[in-house]
Amino acid sequence: MGFLLPLFFGGLAALAVPVFIHLIQREKNTIVAFPSLMFVRRVPYESVRRRKIRHWALLALRLLALALIVAAFARPFVRGGATALTGGAREVIVLLDRSYSMGYADRWTRARAEAQRVLDGLGPGDRASLVFFGTGAEVSLQSVDDRARLTAALAAATPGAESTRFAPALKVAGTIVAESTRPRKEVVLISDFQKLAWSATDDDRLPAGTTFTPVAITDTDTRNLAVTPLAIRRGRFEGQERATLTAGVTNRGSEPVADVPIALEINGRVAEEVRVTVAPQASASATFAPVTITPTPMRVTARINDPALAADNAFNVVVAQTRPIRVLLASGSGRAADETYLRRALAIGESPRFEVTGVAADQVSDDLLAAADVLIVHDAPIGDGVAARVARFVERGRGVFVVAGARASWPQVPLFPGVLAAAVDRTRGEVGRLGGLEIGHAVFAPFRAARSGDFSSVRVYGYRKLTPSGGAQVLARFDDGQPALVAGATGRGQVLIWTTSLDLTWNDLALKPIFLPFVHQVMRTLGGFESRPASLTVGEVATPEVPAAAGRTRVVVAPDGARTALEAARGDAFEVALPGFYEVRDAANDAAAGTIVAANVDLAESDLAGVDPASVATAVTAAGDTATAGGGGVAPPRDEVTEQSQRLWWYLLLAGMLLLIGESVVASRLSGGVS
Amino acid sequence: MQLGGAIPGAQFVDPAVLARIGNLDLVARSVVDGVINGLHKSPFFGTSVDFAEHRGYVPGDDIRRVDWRVFARTDKYYVKEFEADSNSNFVVLLDVSASMAYGPRVSKLDYGRTLAACLTYLVHRQRDRVGLVTFDHEVVDHVPPSAKHLDVVLHTLDRVKATRQGQLTAPLRLLAEHFGRRGVVVLISDLYDEPEAIFDAIAPIRFRGSDVVVFHVLDPNELEFPFTDPSAFEDLETGEQLPVVPESFREKYRALVRGHIDALTTKAAERGVDYRMLDTSRPLDFALYDYLSFRERTTRVR
Repeated sequence: MGFLLPLFFGGLAALAVPVFIHLIQREKNTIVAFPSLMFVRRVPYESVRRRKIRHWALLALRLLALALIVAAFARPFVRGGATALTGGAREVIVLLDRSYSMGYADRWTRARAEAQRVLDGLGPGDRASLVFFGTGAEVSLQSVDDRARLTAALAAATPGAESTRFAPALKVAGTIVAESTRPRKEVVLISDFQKLAWSATDDDRLPAGTTFTPVAITDTDTRNLAVTPLAIRRGRFEGQERATLTAGVTNRGSEPVADVPIALEINGRVAEEVRVTVAPQASASATFAPVTITPTPMRVTARINDPALAADNAFNVVVAQTRPIRVLLASGSGRAADETYLRRALAIGESPRFEVTGVAADQVSDDLLAAADVLIVHDAPIGDGVAARVARFVERGRGVFVVAGARASWPQVPLFPGVLAAAVDRTRGEVGRLGGLEIGHAVFAPFRAARSGDFSSVRVYGYRKLTPSGGAQVLARFDDGQPALVAGATGRGQVLIWTTSLDLTWNDLALKPIFLPFVHQVMRTLGGFESRPASLTVGEVATPEVPAAAGRTRVVVAPDGARTALEAARGDAFEVALPGFYEVRDAANDAAAGTIVAANVDLAESDLAGVDPASVATAVTAAGDTATAGGGGVAPPRDEVTEQSQRLWWYLLLAGMLLLIGESVVASRLSGGVS
Repeated sequence: MQLGGAIPGAQFVDPAVLARIGNLDLVARSVVDGVINGLHKSPFFGTSVDFAEHRGYVPGDDIRRVDWRVFARTDKYYVKEFEADSNSNFVVLLDVSASMAYGPRVSKLDYGRTLAACLTYLVHRQRDRVGLVTFDHEVVDHVPPSAKHLDVVLHTLDRVKATRQGQLTAPLRLLAEHFGRRGVVVLISDLYDEPEAIFDAIAPIRFRGSDVVVFHVLDPNELEFPFTDPSAFEDLETGEQLPVVPESFREKYRALVRGHIDALTTKAAERGVDYRMLDTSRPLDFALYDYLSFRERTTRVR
């Protein structure tokens, strides 16, 4: 027998108070003046008090009622009797961390042993769920009472490559608990409790009444070396693109480590090895000799040899030649001075590079267009023939940027998303301003952040009126509402019309800091440039750079050799689950080179410093619930849970109330004789 | 209100009626006259008029005391000597502590001061010197004994109030030093103190030759404890309150009071002190008569 709130029994002592006060008050109701209490004082008071009570049964009834009510408030429960009273079956959810940090030393063995102890503690009628979690959570077995299956699933589990996140696992546990009909619910979290696993802002509370037992698998002194992400610096040398790679090592231990060899592997072969000395809780880096980037993507890995935790010993990247955006600049004036700002802007581009080819507007041919990704028509009239060629060019997925200066004109064809009209002179009166930007459009992507570009500072003295056609999208306007930038789509390509000049003729945009990023972004947008990361982190989703050819099926070859067919319905996307290189190949032509994706573990996981399990327990348990101490094994049912399942207080309270009613009846009958 | 009594010729007056009469002189005279009328013999005590013998005149004797009739017959000077040669002092010690204010019908203080007035009046008629001391825990009023102080004594008695806490022994010890001349000292009190301590305090007075008469004045409630309802009893002097359930309490209380009175009686007998317990419900003249009869009897014995 136990009591959840035994302090309430202080109330039992208080039961004597009303009796005492009753007696005292009864006697004090009338005060009798008496000459001297000399003799009164000599009579023992106790005997007087005892004899005051005339109806012992009534008093006992009252006291019993009050005692029952006090006992009800103390929340009694029968320890060990929960099973007999309620069936006591438990729903035990074992959350086992299988992030790669669990591979440190013997952590995984210990974690599995703890999980096994929990499973061994299951009683008849108990059910258990086995949930492995890292970045995400995977329910291995849910609400199973077959201990053999649970043990087998546990034995088959191995640490993965993910990092630790408690939130998904706790969500899964909460769902299982919510669905369970078992009266007792217990969640056992077995993890190394790394800092990154839990954020104070996480708000994943287990349902009320759930017993939460954190089991920390930690070590007092941890040593771990991890490779830092490879940094790639690109450059060109003698027409060839080269990459200078820099790798680093982070020492998570408390002792310095000298002469750590870092091997740079290119396509599986060690190209170079450098040694670094790393201070405790610090990083050191080393730069390898530049390498020429081959036309085929290179698999580059920086690797160290640290047996404590192998998963963070390598960092993989794919180094591929960057594809330049080929720009065909069709000029109308024939004066290079008019295009100075534009050409200088395009010459600066490095990622990607812009290969600019100049041509007179009326000389734009199919051949030139075939070798271009983007066509810039800079303040030039476009004839019907050119317009037709450009239309085909756009339909193939290319882009056209029309700068509509004073000389610009084009035929009425669907290619151009608007009808051009006369110029507006803003040299008199108030100068024109840019505004009304569709900041969500890709063209303005670099300027979405606050204070990352002020187009309103551009002074506009002249522009062409343009009536947007149906389907055209006005991306920017002047202060009088006239369109400044209009987008239209034809086929797979798109056309952008800038209704003022890109030199200093009609505005001073070219003198503004936003000019360069604006021009580059327009080229990237029209050229279909997509910046691809050199590597992904395990858990992220990759998409092949090149879409699959019609009717062809592609497969993904994982680092462990597993092949998975890509589903076009899912956008050919796949999740990288292992560190290493994934390769997307044509299913029918396995030998052909495909897209390579590099994957790495989350290096934050390599920091083995832990968080206090108690703080996690406090955060995830509902108000009023308390977490049991960690340490493994099946936690005995918490008093709160036992009490809640038995609800003896309710019966006591009811009995107390009934007794009080009975007391009232008896007292009313005795009221004539009771003083 | 006149009450008939067992004593022939005596007319007893209800103490409550007496208490309502403001004039103590009148009260005392009425009571004393009534008492004397009922007595067959003069109750004068400490008498100064009873002839004892003749003796020869010696120079220095007051010539007014020469018996001229004997001189006429014998031609010798003889002086008359009486039983009490000089007027004695009669002093009443009246307890005016707050406990004396108790009394549902007549307070012990009223009863006591009436008694004191009667005795003083009675003694004054014998031409003895009368005095008065009122006290609680200290001496409150002090009227020195004098043949001319009857009015002062009565006036003092008339205005006494019982308000303060009392303490019997200390004032008695102090007063003992003032009773150097032999006389009669009457103590009127409710005697709420230990018998041994009371008589220890009286002993010096007795030791100096004064006759000491103790009137123990108690209200019937103090004797019988007739209360029925459980109540908080408050000490009139200290204000202390005690919860009391009388029905279970009464017998023990009565036994204690009886024991106290018995102890006082015994101690008084041992110390040669006259002790009388007076119940305020009894007529005062009855009590006075009772006492004077007792006094007369004991005087004869002496």
